[in-house]
Amino acid sequence: MIPFRVIPQHDGPDGCPTATSFIQEKTEKELKEAYDSVPKPLILQRMRHFQWLKVLLFQGLPARYKSQDASQPWLMFWIINSFQLMGVQLDVATKQRAIDTLMQCQSPDGGFGGGPKQAPGLLPTYAAVSTLACVGHPGPGGGWDQIDRQKMYAWFMSLKQPDGSFLVSRNAEIDVRAIYSLLVTATLLDMMTPELVAGTASFIASTQTYEGGFASTSAPYYISVDTLMDEPRPALGEAHGGYAGCAIASWVLLKPFMTEEESKKLNVDKFLRWLVWMQGEQADYGGFRGRSNKLVDNCYSWWCGESLAIVESILDLQEETGHEDEFIEDEGDDEWVDTDWWLYNNKALQEYILGLGQDNAGGLRDKPSKRADVYHTFYSLAGFSTAQHRVYQSKSLQGSLRNKWKPSEAFTPSTAKGEDDRRQATRKELWINARSWKEDESSHRYVGSPNNRVNAIHPVFTLLISQASNIMDHFYGQTSPPKS
Amino acid sequence: MSEQPASDPPPPLLYSMREEWKDVQPLDQSDLTNPLVPIFYPPEYKDAMDYFRGIVAKGEKSQRVLELTEHIIRMNPAHYTVWQYRYDTLLELEAPLDKELALMDELALTNMKFYQVWHHRKLLLLKYAQPAAELSFISKVLAVDSKNYHTWAYRQWLLAHFDQEDLWSLELPSVELLLQEDVRNNSAWHHRFFVVFDSGVREGDEDREQVLRREINFTKQKIAIAPNNLSAWNYLRGILDRVEVKYATLKDFVVPYTTPREERPVVEEEVLDLDNPRPSSSASLPCALAIEFLADICLEEGDTTKAAELFTSLAEEHDTMRKRYWDYRVKECLGTQSTRT
Repeated sequence: MIPFRVIPQHDGPDGCPTATSFIQEKTEKELKEAYDSVPKPLILQRMRHFQWLKVLLFQGLPARYKSQDASQPWLMFWIINSFQLMGVQLDVATKQRAIDTLMQCQSPDGGFGGGPKQAPGLLPTYAAVSTLACVGHPGPGGGWDQIDRQKMYAWFMSLKQPDGSFLVSRNAEIDVRAIYSLLVTATLLDMMTPELVAGTASFIASTQTYEGGFASTSAPYYISVDTLMDEPRPALGEAHGGYAGCAIASWVLLKPFMTEEESKKLNVDKFLRWLVWMQGEQADYGGFRGRSNKLVDNCYSWWCGESLAIVESILDLQEETGHEDEFIEDEGDDEWVDTDWWLYNNKALQEYILGLGQDNAGGLRDKPSKRADVYHTFYSLAGFSTAQHRVYQSKSLQGSLRNKWKPSEAFTPSTAKGEDDRRQATRKELWINARSWKEDESSHRYVGSPNNRVNAIHPVFTLLISQASNIMDHFYGQTSPPKS
Repeated sequence: MSEQPASDPPPPLLYSMREEWKDVQPLDQSDLTNPLVPIFYPPEYKDAMDYFRGIVAKGEKSQRVLELTEHIIRMNPAHYTVWQYRYDTLLELEAPLDKELALMDELALTNMKFYQVWHHRKLLLLKYAQPAAELSFISKVLAVDSKNYHTWAYRQWLLAHFDQEDLWSLELPSVELLLQEDVRNNSAWHHRFFVVFDSGVREGDEDREQVLRREINFTKQKIAIAPNNLSAWNYLRGILDRVEVKYATLKDFVVPYTTPREERPVVEEEVLDLDNPRPSSSASLPCALAIEFLADICLEEGDTTKAAELFTSLAEEHDTMRKRYWDYRVKECLGTQSTRT
């Protein structure tokens, strides 16, 4: 770390050197040296990543990962979802081990903890349930039907705050990661109720900063002990890619519950502008940064890339393009055909990920001077996927889902009895809203060779689209009768 | 986080070998023989965690629990369950919170990137309610990492929660110092917005017109020093949006930043125009952020042709990385963008 008062000599942009421009220039040099030495055309080192992840999954993690002891479901989520993106199938026995390992983390108080015998937390709950969406199944031992939704719901409500936000766990911090984790879990498992999410959309809007991005949280002001003021509700911390990704995905999930007035509280144009400015310059090789004037980091390939995919969909830019697949064999610019879909430079982003984000020993990393870890591996691959595939909310799919919907028995929290009619109407809308994202099969864009393709990812759920669909169809009672 | 310095004392005796812990039944984390993603815990860590699980099962809240949880937190500051139990124990024992806060001073400096270190501090402050000393502690942390997210969020929580004028009063000078040191420190810019616009009106700031003038002039000066600075332009846009003042009021200021230097004859009177400082002599021009700003002014004024021209110059020449976005803005100007929801 560079103490900011000691700035080594350098010219600096605009002839004005500061601590920020010093580390920026140092990083640009690092990126250039690394990029120049990478063989071209750029290749996704699939086998190396696979081997590296496989060792971690089966044999385990070295001692330095003890800092992840309270994130065990996350380790599974990152590794297994990296496999899914790279098209690696898990065998039945491994899936069962994954289910058994995860179910050990379910807390007797509801929700999942960061490991066996740990307190439940919203973040590990999200990671566990999302991983179960990949590896689990209905019936005994499959994980899905062993999730205790009544207890989980009561625990959710115990974390709810008067301003619509949630604690990440008992007595813990409040932020938009908690909201995203809760909303994904509750949506996948058919647990969304008006009481659960009352005020949450307004809270998310309050975390949008003057820059257009989103902060970690906001501060409520009270008139009296139990009366919240509408204003001020200042954002705490500056606009940040990670929180932005959580906030915008949450916003989309809340859509069926939003009033007209609430839906206007978020400024999408301003968010879009902030997002595109997060993409680094040519000297950054088009990687994304997480905050203004900070360094690029591969994990923001996902947090910003995912946000852009969602914004593009909100702005309704997406009709099926009908273009042919585009495989870019070489790096030559002439072969790259732009479409109207991506609002950022998805070609440069793919180049950053392939050219600078891969560790030769396997795994993906923040930048060349950092070692690979499972967090960066997954979010870099996920960002890579959003830069390759156009996934959008399809109006025609919404129509056909609407026709397909069949009334089914709803989960009703024991505390919310007597709201069955309202629940029925909203859960249908929720299911349609969440299920109507699809891949535009005709507009892939691959840097390097077609062998660099990874699977398309759902920008809201951070899962393969089919996995989000399968678990939702089960919990919303929309599965087709089993084929004989 | 970091390598153990050679001078560290040897690790303490394992709990399993200590007489005074004999009464606790250590608990394994799992009875699965074949879990996925097992972590190879160092023996010291596993031993402490086994005894922690034993303590939780017993429901014991005692002085030795404070020692045990501190030991684990030093090995893994992200263990929220351990922090939670420590907090419960502190309350149960009515332990002296100033002592706990002193411990947090040490841990925050060595583990400043962990949520839990800052949150625990917040819990203590909620009970202890003595925020005055906090701001100087925060400055100490920011001297090590001037952009630490948790530190800034904590500082802002502290100000908003206690909302005391003597806390607020030093914030603006502090921000000015940070921006003087590094005009690109976005955390400091954000804090300025938080203090001036986002959290009610400070004492002495009641004349909002005057505050707006002050802030615009401040930002112009900072832009003049280093025009290619996203943080400063975002601040400028942010305050104009907040007070609903048109961007066009800054047209005279912006134009000199939108053209290459050689096209711009230096006229002496202009240099002396204090309201509209010119770009410094070493600035790289034209500045993409200024062109974008001017294009938005043109849109305000209804000159979509000129706006489209400026966005096109960004797309084709001055900011090609964002070509897709500038093309989108051009289409928006020309009214060919598909309908928005």
